[in-house]
Amino acid sequence: MLILLVALTIGEYFIGKYAPYWWAPLLAVALLKAFFVVRDFMHIGRVFAGEEEEVH
Amino acid sequence: MSTGTATLADYQRRTFTNRLGLWLFIASDAFVFIGLFAARFYLYGANFRPELSQEVGLVVTAVLGISSYFAYRGEVAMRFGDTKAYFRSTLITIVLGILFLIGVVGVEWQIAPFGPDHDALWSLFYTMTGFHAFHVLTGVIFLGIVYRNARKGLYDAERHWPVEAAAIYWHFIDVVWFFFYPALYLIGVPPL
Repeated sequence: MLILLVALTIGEYFIGKYAPYWWAPLLAVALLKAFFVVRDFMHIGRVFAGEEEEVH
Repeated sequence: MSTGTATLADYQRRTFTNRLGLWLFIASDAFVFIGLFAARFYLYGANFRPELSQEVGLVVTAVLGISSYFAYRGEVAMRFGDTKAYFRSTLITIVLGILFLIGVVGVEWQIAPFGPDHDALWSLFYTMTGFHAFHVLTGVIFLGIVYRNARKGLYDAERHWPVEAAAIYWHFIDVVWFFFYPALYLIGVPPL
């Protein structure tokens, strides 16, 4: 996960450096990074898991 | 024994409610950041950005991203009862958060060619980075308080909602920067 985020960040850095008008791919990379963090680090699935599943 | 089980069940029910409340707060807080993000593109489109050091931008972005990873590791460690790993990861997260603040406020703001009163673009730059930096500062304080409470032995593998909450808040700050970084540092070129 960390490697993926680092790779995406380096990728967007070079897009920004050499193609600064490519706003769509840059925002797509930001969305992709946000998706992974919200899903895997912030565990958004737990919010929708329901109270019954929370109580073991 | 049955009392202990009931108490744990109550704690987990409360955690579910607390988690919902935290996500509602994050959603409402996100709207402020979305407003700032939209204002940047409404005023300057995708053609212009402030004249900033892209190297500093990359470094602070990497620092915040890595700090998010350690916040995650700390939370997972606490969930498995490994408090030693939790302390280590949380300390690294706090240090990286402070480094991010130094990078933005102590370096980027100092080397920026203009102040916030120059024009709307620079005003927006300082507002966006300042508002975000304030969240980073509160995140560092939040992590510090939870760290101190963990040192007192207040949390364990089954009862550690504040640890999870601090980590989620920290990741939220990271996610906001995912969008601010290209908006301020990468998209467009500095105006002549």
